Amino acid sequence: MSGANKQKAAVRQRKMTKKQFIATYGSLIGLIALIIIITVIRPRFLGGANIRNVLRNASINGLLAVGMTFVVLTGGIDLSVGAIMGCAGMYSAYFAQAVLGYPVIVAVLIGLAVGLAFGLFNGFCIAYLRVPAFVGTLGAMSVADGLKFLLTDAKPIPNLNEEFEFIGGGSIGPIPVPCIIMVIVLIICFVLLYKTRYGRYVFAVGGNQNAAHVSGINTKKIIFSVYILAGVLSALAGIIMTARVTSGVTSTGDGYETDAIAMVVIGGTSLAGGKGRLWGTIVGIMIMQVLSTGLDMLGVNTYYQMLVKGFVVIGAVMLDSLSSD
Amino acid sequence: MSLIELKDIRKSFYGVEVLHGVNFVLQPGTVHALMGENGAGKSTLMKVIAGVHAADSGKVLMEGKEVEITSPAKAREMGIAMIHQELSAEQEMSVAENIFLGREPGKFGFIDYRKMYKDTNDLLNELGIHLDAKAKMKQLRVADQQMVEIAKAISQNAKVVIMDEPTSSITDREVERLFEIIRRLKKAGVGIIYISHKMDEIFQICDEMTVLRDGNYINTFKADEIDENGLIRNMVGRDLDTQFPKEHSKIGETILSVEHLTRANEYEDISFELHRGEILGFVGLVGAGRTELMKSIFGMTKPDSGRIVLDGKEVHFKAPKQAIKNGIAYVTEDRKGEGLVLPMSVENNITLVALADLGKGGFTQKSKETEVSAEQIKSLGIKVARPSIAVKSLSGGNQQKVVLAKWMISNPHILIFDEPTRGIDVGAKAEIYKIMSDYVSKGNAIIMVSSEMPEAMGMSDRIIVLSNHKFSGELDRSEFSEEAIAQMQFKYMQNKQGEE
Amino acid sequence: MKKKSMMKVFAVLMTAAMAFGLTACGSDGGNEGSEPSSEASTTEQSTAQDSTAEDSTAEESGGGTAGAEGLKIGATYYTLQTEFCMRMDNEAKKWAKENGVEYTSYDGNNDASKQLEQVETMIADGVDAIILNPQDADACSACVDAAVEAGIPIVGVNTMVNNDQLTAYVGSEDVSAGEEIMQYMIDYMDSDAFNIVVIEGPMGQSAQLQRYEGITNVLADYPDIEILAIDTANWSRSEAMTLMETWLTTYGEEIDAVVSENDEMALGAREAIKAQGLDIPCIGIDGITDAVAAVESGDMIASDFQNAEGQIRGALDTAVKCVNGEDYEKEVWIPFEMITPDNYADYQGRY
Repeated sequence: MSGANKQKAAVRQRKMTKKQFIATYGSLIGLIALIIIITVIRPRFLGGANIRNVLRNASINGLLAVGMTFVVLTGGIDLSVGAIMGCAGMYSAYFAQAVLGYPVIVAVLIGLAVGLAFGLFNGFCIAYLRVPAFVGTLGAMSVADGLKFLLTDAKPIPNLNEEFEFIGGGSIGPIPVPCIIMVIVLIICFVLLYKTRYGRYVFAVGGNQNAAHVSGINTKKIIFSVYILAGVLSALAGIIMTARVTSGVTSTGDGYETDAIAMVVIGGTSLAGGKGRLWGTIVGIMIMQVLSTGLDMLGVNTYYQMLVKGFVVIGAVMLDSLSSD
Repeated sequence: MSLIELKDIRKSFYGVEVLHGVNFVLQPGTVHALMGENGAGKSTLMKVIAGVHAADSGKVLMEGKEVEITSPAKAREMGIAMIHQELSAEQEMSVAENIFLGREPGKFGFIDYRKMYKDTNDLLNELGIHLDAKAKMKQLRVADQQMVEIAKAISQNAKVVIMDEPTSSITDREVERLFEIIRRLKKAGVGIIYISHKMDEIFQICDEMTVLRDGNYINTFKADEIDENGLIRNMVGRDLDTQFPKEHSKIGETILSVEHLTRANEYEDISFELHRGEILGFVGLVGAGRTELMKSIFGMTKPDSGRIVLDGKEVHFKAPKQAIKNGIAYVTEDRKGEGLVLPMSVENNITLVALADLGKGGFTQKSKETEVSAEQIKSLGIKVARPSIAVKSLSGGNQQKVVLAKWMISNPHILIFDEPTRGIDVGAKAEIYKIMSDYVSKGNAIIMVSSEMPEAMGMSDRIIVLSNHKFSGELDRSEFSEEAIAQMQFKYMQNKQGEE
Repeated sequence: MKKKSMMKVFAVLMTAAMAFGLTACGSDGGNEGSEPSSEASTTEQSTAQDSTAEDSTAEESGGGTAGAEGLKIGATYYTLQTEFCMRMDNEAKKWAKENGVEYTSYDGNNDASKQLEQVETMIADGVDAIILNPQDADACSACVDAAVEAGIPIVGVNTMVNNDQLTAYVGSEDVSAGEEIMQYMIDYMDSDAFNIVVIEGPMGQSAQLQRYEGITNVLADYPDIEILAIDTANWSRSEAMTLMETWLTTYGEEIDAVVSENDEMALGAREAIKAQGLDIPCIGIDGITDAVAAVESGDMIASDFQNAEGQIRGALDTAVKCVNGEDYEKEVWIPFEMITPDNYADYQGRY
């Protein structure tokens, strides 16, 4: 049996053409090259403190991209992740105010509940009421923004419980808490996507919803569920971010949905659905974060940074589609 | 002088040669069939002619002069038009707009619609196509859209028209109309390259046949030099003992009975019984309601009234999932649209239905999946380099077997098989038929929807004919005749006939 | 948890030490304080001079800041996509060149968390001092904590940060700007009974809160001036235009004057007014290029100039002093200057 497996592996190795290699590892190679270039110019980039910074930020922003990956794999899109992040952050901040004296878990659960509520809303609209995902989540985005501002008339919420702040700013040993949370989320998501029936169904629904339906899969339930996952993960990101900036701020998450989508597509997940990979999203997250921090450190003019990011996204997708035939 | 002549064409992809020195000569005013199993190199050869691929070596002569066809645009300029298998018309545009797309009459960027509609009408009349120039493409049937494509090619002064499976999704009557047009083109001196798997058609319309096998040029025959079996022998390189390996298995007790099933605008008052060991054919024109009926039996749509009784118990399926649980499988007519998850691997497609039985507590079990899918690949004879490649890279026949494999794992008792061999080459067809026979011999039953008369008559124990959403007749194997079936097909069509 | 509170104590001690000027801050950069300058010119006056004397190129002249040579300073702006912040950034670059300072600027992209990220990057990059132009007074408080924890001085500019540990703050008093434009409008109207509309900045931002406070301070003495409508246009010209169109439809010629919390919005409102063929006086704050031109053409009656150059220079000066352990003022106020039809020429081509 193992002999046969080895043989199979050998076949696989041999069959990998140059194009496939680029499609599979192109973005990873890009990431490594990026890190090398930045480090050569600014050696401090690979300093311990900076690595921690980059990883912590990547962990928080990346949560959105992880949820988005599931949504995009089903052929959907969730434009509301950034707004849910901001809204959930505000509501959890409200309950994390030191003066109120609630236990931290209350604030966290409230935040997650907000994310869950929006996920349910999105999922229901898209899966059962057949609202196109783009439109449904666009609406949810506006609703989340509105609820966020209504809470405090757009005023920030300062003076949060110190234990709450630990979620975003704390470290266990040298490892920032957000990174630990991200690793746990990633492990769960990897198992979910690659080791369970559910994950397979996510791919199947995205690859061909009709065929999945005919094969006895409850496609609506699968679509429903990915928006819930995206909503909850966005809320989690919002809670961590709020804890990190040590106050509830209405600007949190504004525009983050575009970055999240960029991370997902850089990672090689097709917006058409059914095709993609979670580790690719991780590479996408890291590319966006390294670009953001690295270009800042190099003192690259902010307008040029926008150009660079734009071309990276287009370039990555181009590479993917050119090499996928 | 020949219209187009290919000499010793070779073509490789990624170092693998797929055309090994192919010759092909098309005479003006003839229909020339290009025959071969899927993977024989027909498509590649056609793409060389249409300018999609450039040949690595060999000569292309157009009316005696050596030419290089470097792009599809160049090909069009030279008078070569391809009518694609999957139609690519602008659905929201009118017939006239489609025909003149990219070369609209008029000045300064304005379109002279009056001229465009007039020219279109003239063109359609000339070809004997009765269509409204202002009709939107999406309102037309597939067959009519095809006519528009042909008209478009002719309007571009095409001398060579390539038709790739033009009859794969149109009804017999529409085929007749298509042939009418083809005959007119022939008269006008146009050369037609015709690709099809349907033998009867080939002999009906074609003057010459060139056979390819595994990228090799085998031979070119005149239509009167060879018969169906001879052609098949050349294509597959072996004799097919019989095209339809029908075994007469023992017909057992009733397994499914459908009583007065009705769904508005789809099918009306349909009743029938299905027995163990039986292949029950459903025949009818496209749109007669056959597929719609199957979808309701499988729980995809809800009937308005009537009963479905399975193994003596009345059932009401709300979703395919419940039908599957009750031992029903459904191979749909639309393999790419409803059968396969194209970006997924062969293995994952095969295990999709039975995934729950192949793992524990929501988790999948890779080793079990590999084992089970390998079993199916072997027993159905699926030709695949390795189970992890994407199913979209397989040929039609192998894809169809993957769909079958997907269902076979869970041992269904009833298999609904909608157009079992559409777009599949001859060799694979026979294999599919063999699988069907084996399956019913184990006491299972098949409902087969088929638009190919030889297939329906060759494989069915009984045939039920639907006409215009209604039950129009039932025939036992001993009563099968094309004439009888055709009559039944048109039974309820009388008032509709004038419409076209 | 324990470690964190330890750090807090340490941080507090550090700031205390810095505040009393007992020790040079910037422990990380490895700078050796260079030569402490003898005369620590005090803030308000000297910065004003700085910005007026910036033409002279000689390093020793008024444009230079003693003891700045060789330092590494980073600045994060709440955005670099508006003229005002660009003016600060450009001036800072000019200053850095004059003084041999390695200066890097960061675009916060209207996002407090992004700014926190950037402050941490700067710390990791080993800057000697940080300039913070915060997106939000409360949300950017964490930026200050981060810098203080790392022992790096952090100077706020233009917008206040609600954090006691902020090393110093250089800005203009937005309350007074609000008061000045309201008073100017009243003088211009030469009446104490008319109707106005007020266009606000993004709700909750300190400039919005304070400018509005200034406006209401003045209105408290004029009970017959009625605010017909008040709403935010998020500092945006196009949003203000839409808002004003709505108001003109609703109130029409009842509106006697437009008071806007910045120039962009005043100009947007003015566009809407002109499109209706009306002539309602508008006033704004900041003194951006377009506003100077508008004052010249009579489209705006005046604009209260906020001295971006003065503010950023003040902040940089303060930062250098702090790094070098010199005395510095914890709060430096750069006054607003009213651009009027009489003096607009002075502001033309200023940048």
